[in-house]
Amino acid sequence: MIAGGLALAPAGAFVLAALALFVIDAFSPGKTSGGVLAGVSAFGAVGALAASGVFLLSGAASGGIELFGGQLVVDGMSLLFTFIFGSVTALVAVASFDYVREMPHRAEYYMLILLAATGMSLMASANSLAVAFVSLELASLPSYALVAYLKGNRGSVEGGLKYFLIGALSSAILVYGISLVYASTGSLLLSDVADAAGEAAATYPGVFGTGVLMIIGGLAFKTASVPFHFWAPDAYEGAPAPVSAFLSSASKAAGFVLAFRILLVGFPIQSVVGAIDWVLVFQILAVLTMTIGNFAAATQERVKRMLAYSSIGHAGYVLIGLAALTGVGGASAGATVLGASMLHLLVYGFMNTGAFLFVALVEHWEIGRTFEDYNGLARQAPLACVAMTVFMFSLAGLPVGGGFVSKYYLFAGAVGAGVWWLALVGAINSALSLYYYSRVVKAMWIEEPIEGRTIAHYPTALYAAVLTAAVVTVFLLPGLVVFDGAAFDAAAALL
Amino acid sequence: MVLETVPVEYYMVLSAAVFCAGLFGVLTRRNALLFLMSVELLLNAANINLVVFAFYWGEITGQVFALFVIAIAAAEVAIGIGIILVLQRNFGDVDVTDATTLRW
Amino acid sequence: MSVIYELTPAIVLLPLASFALALFFGAWLPRRGAVVGSLATAGTLGLSLATLAWLLLTGEPHNQTWYTLVDADATFDLTFGILIDQLSAAMLVIVSLIAFLVHVFSLGYMNDEGEPGLPRYYAGLGLFTASMLAFVIADNLLMAFIFFELVGLCSYLLIGHWFTEDAPPSAAKKAFLVTRFGDYFFLVGVVGVLVTFGTAGFAGSEGFPVLAEEAIAAGETFFGFGAETWFSVLGLLVLGGALGKSAQFPFHTWLPDAMEGPTPVSALIHAATMVAAGVYLVARMYGFYALLPTVLAIIAFVGGFTALFAATMAVVKDEIKQVLAYSTISQYGYMMLALGAGSYVAAFFHLTTHAVFKALLFLGAGSVIIAMHHDEDMWKMGGLKDEMPVTYVTFLFGSLALAGIFPFSGFWSKDEVLFETLIHALGGSPLLFGAYAMALAAVFLTGFYTIRMVLLTFHGEPRSDTAEDPHGVRWNVKFPLSVLGVLAVIAGGINLVPVEKLSGGSLHVAFLEGYLERDVGLLTHGEHYSELLHDHAGYTSAYVGSEVTTLLLGAGLSLGLALLGAGSAYGLYRGAVPTRHTEKLGGLRTLLMHNYYQDEYQVWLAEGFTVRLSSAADTFDQGVIDGAVNATSSVSLSAGSRLRRIQTGIVTNYAALILLSLLALLVVFAILGGWL
Repeated sequence: MIAGGLALAPAGAFVLAALALFVIDAFSPGKTSGGVLAGVSAFGAVGALAASGVFLLSGAASGGIELFGGQLVVDGMSLLFTFIFGSVTALVAVASFDYVREMPHRAEYYMLILLAATGMSLMASANSLAVAFVSLELASLPSYALVAYLKGNRGSVEGGLKYFLIGALSSAILVYGISLVYASTGSLLLSDVADAAGEAAATYPGVFGTGVLMIIGGLAFKTASVPFHFWAPDAYEGAPAPVSAFLSSASKAAGFVLAFRILLVGFPIQSVVGAIDWVLVFQILAVLTMTIGNFAAATQERVKRMLAYSSIGHAGYVLIGLAALTGVGGASAGATVLGASMLHLLVYGFMNTGAFLFVALVEHWEIGRTFEDYNGLARQAPLACVAMTVFMFSLAGLPVGGGFVSKYYLFAGAVGAGVWWLALVGAINSALSLYYYSRVVKAMWIEEPIEGRTIAHYPTALYAAVLTAAVVTVFLLPGLVVFDGAAFDAAAALL
Repeated sequence: MVLETVPVEYYMVLSAAVFCAGLFGVLTRRNALLFLMSVELLLNAANINLVVFAFYWGEITGQVFALFVIAIAAAEVAIGIGIILVLQRNFGDVDVTDATTLRW
Repeated sequence: MSVIYELTPAIVLLPLASFALALFFGAWLPRRGAVVGSLATAGTLGLSLATLAWLLLTGEPHNQTWYTLVDADATFDLTFGILIDQLSAAMLVIVSLIAFLVHVFSLGYMNDEGEPGLPRYYAGLGLFTASMLAFVIADNLLMAFIFFELVGLCSYLLIGHWFTEDAPPSAAKKAFLVTRFGDYFFLVGVVGVLVTFGTAGFAGSEGFPVLAEEAIAAGETFFGFGAETWFSVLGLLVLGGALGKSAQFPFHTWLPDAMEGPTPVSALIHAATMVAAGVYLVARMYGFYALLPTVLAIIAFVGGFTALFAATMAVVKDEIKQVLAYSTISQYGYMMLALGAGSYVAAFFHLTTHAVFKALLFLGAGSVIIAMHHDEDMWKMGGLKDEMPVTYVTFLFGSLALAGIFPFSGFWSKDEVLFETLIHALGGSPLLFGAYAMALAAVFLTGFYTIRMVLLTFHGEPRSDTAEDPHGVRWNVKFPLSVLGVLAVIAGGINLVPVEKLSGGSLHVAFLEGYLERDVGLLTHGEHYSELLHDHAGYTSAYVGSEVTTLLLGAGLSLGLALLGAGSAYGLYRGAVPTRHTEKLGGLRTLLMHNYYQDEYQVWLAEGFTVRLSSAADTFDQGVIDGAVNATSSVSLSAGSRLRRIQTGIVTNYAALILLSLLALLVVFAILGGWL
């Protein structure tokens, strides 16, 4: 066991780095060198990553450490997700060094990223509905500002506006749902809610059920699940590409960890099934999300928007983790599929971040956004294109990266839990996804290069981030074994 | 105490009515500031519930949480106003339906 | 564990190393990676031969987990392991032999011709070989799946090698997508097997085939299905992957297009790697399929039908590689038929001989293509036999083997496939008669198109300037051709079952049968399969008269049909430049002239019936199957483009849609939860 305060070290690393930036930038506002800013941010993120990784793999927090009267809990799941946030934040911070090099308000940019990451790691630890809402807002508010960071760019502003408006609406729905759950159970602490849930579901099924459904709606916004996804394609496309990477990987994972915690700890399906069968809700959401995400992605002309929709599709795969908790096959089947969801988010944190950072690289070169603009890029930037190929194939679920193993486990878990049709929908969608992912690969490697396109220089930090993500993605194919025990244990602890 | 004489259902109806008014505003107002105000109505509907049921259950968690919600709503407005400002600069208006370059 | 098995990973790692070297240092390597690749595959061949020899001498197999990919205590582990039994040891030799010869041949085909992108090419070949070898030694279905996929990915890269032209990239994509389509079924099947049995191991008493056998015996049920029904579903799912890779109907469309790749790659794909992987997969888990009579019948019918269907199309093709492509589909149909009809040994025997003669034919075609300056149209060839005698003789041997003419290797293996199908059909499985009839009809067509191909390519007068003065080929082309040419003649000798039977069992010359049937304790030997087939699928043997009579009758029938086909082709295509042919073969010509009616009959059969049937089949292929594939994708795409229109860009609409969806969910769950 680790002492109480120390258990929050990963989140603390994010906060300290953000505060450090605040102090550093105060000396000569707006003039601090980009290297220092990116370095401090990456250092903080790596600190969070290392701390959570060590706690996780050493099993130091395996029993779950409750803090502040049970408002926060540090356990295997929160550490695994903090690890994801740490790695995504580190990659994004490094990549942003080149991306925001020439732009104003760089220090604020990094601070917002770190504060959002703090919010996400608190979301992973939230053990009461109050903390859940506050930490969700702590993650969301900086994100709105980050999407609109390019103040003179119409796309960025529009993306930020839509993200903000829909986000505000969704958080209002979430908090109204929380108020209804509070009304029917009399508590905000998840364990107390769980104790009162059975009675509440029997006595006030309408109030309680509406509350749970509205909470699910609020969380589905955060995870960009259909039909609460409308903001996502626009925000991801409009945002600066590193921010898109950050939001589509880390922010989505944060939404999922909160959903796992609230639903599994707060609303145990056995006691609430009479009022609201949330497993069925997630089955509907999973099918809709997978199908609409992938179908819409297949018809895009712009790569970044295709990735935005593909990210929605992947949210659908992860939703299987909740949708397959039917109780068929016993606790081990449930732990497998839920653990697989976590593993998929872990791998996804690298492969999706990498793909968006590749887009950032292309934006940095200013060579266009459509598939055609990528034609023959492999001749000019072979190394980055190899990395992108790895991301694309791993996202599609081919065995070149960790995406294969995690997706495989998801589908296997779904079949084991008796919802083979979910696995089938997933497999069909994966087949479709190969079509649009391979379009990128084809454009890069097979099409004739565009005449007269020149690439002046190769930004070191962006390259480093993209290649690191690619190497880790490939490494996770055999290396997921390092994490799978932790993920399955974390899942089993929740069930 | 008023609460002891007015049944709790009435407060729920009030809160639901405020919530619906907020939703109506969200769906019909094209002005970004009015949209934002409607969202405030939604949050306040939740606050009514929280405060009332804190009384009902005889504890203060709900009331404290309502304070948190108010504080966060203020922070949200701060961010929102900033975004609406850049919206005005880029699109020349604060009409939320003007910004439609990103679609499909 | 003996030393030889400690070296087994090197069989895979050698070509993998050549891949890495060619990829990263290809530009600085001698001959752009060809030498390293050839040496690596030669080493692999040596090790494979040593492994085979060890297994033959000691009878000690090897089945061990090598690496644990995911260690899950709750459900099942994902592991990598090595399984060396009779099947995999023999397959290793075939794959590494063909890979080695293809590397050598590539020196002539790619290097000497000054093709671009050589390091990429050799890297692709190395990875292709390594993945196939890893697939062959896989000890469980999941590992097999992973490398099965890698094989597909490599074929994509290699078929699309000349990516600057129009056709190769689209052919590569087609190959990839069609086989992937099958593979998704396979993946679901793998998952199903793991969920059902908790293991995906192939061999031993812990392997899933044995567990399946026990489950059927115990009358267990799975997910509400009877054991056999559920296993049939799983078997069919896995079969989807095998049919896709082995280009069986209706997944065969990718293979002819795959001819756009470099010819040595075609040789590798057709003879030993990609296409063979499907058949190998079914053979690998034959202990499972042997339990499932329904699936066996489907395999047999798909195989028989594909054999005939592809052969009819081969008849009308003009390009030499197209003819070969359809012949490959047809020949793999025979192997599937053999597996479905319960003759494991015959299937592997045909796989072996086919690997040899098809590699030979492709390399021979490659040699012709070099000579013709990369023109593949047979109507522009002719008369090449005098210019390139080595190619001609070896190509002729390969063709006679393909046509199934005595005593070339193809005769023995094809005859055994047909014979086994026949006796099982007679022995109470009358359904197999249908498959047998189709396969028999395909024998005739095979003889026809094979001889047509040889005549058009090598005989007659040169029909173009290049054919008059062909480009010469060097040792690196002639050497692989000669090796394979000799093998194409004698490879039938590894399993002379008819000779053994005719001798009344006194001559023990059915070597392959003895080898595959020997029990080495892994429950993957042929004898075990025969018992399973007998007990579960009800396959028994019966004969017309005695065994020898049936044997002679069957062999006579298939040989007769093959000769008839060959003769018809000869009759029709000998006349390209009549003087030379008629002078040489005057006696036969006179005979044919006097059998005018017969000649007409053949014309009718070939042109009036076969050609029409073939065109119809071709139309069906182009129109219906391609159409269905295209329609599915265009429906998906248009559905997608409609779907994305709901993303109007107006944020108020988003809010409305979100609220409406929430409302809809509320109503649905209010009704379900009974709150309304």
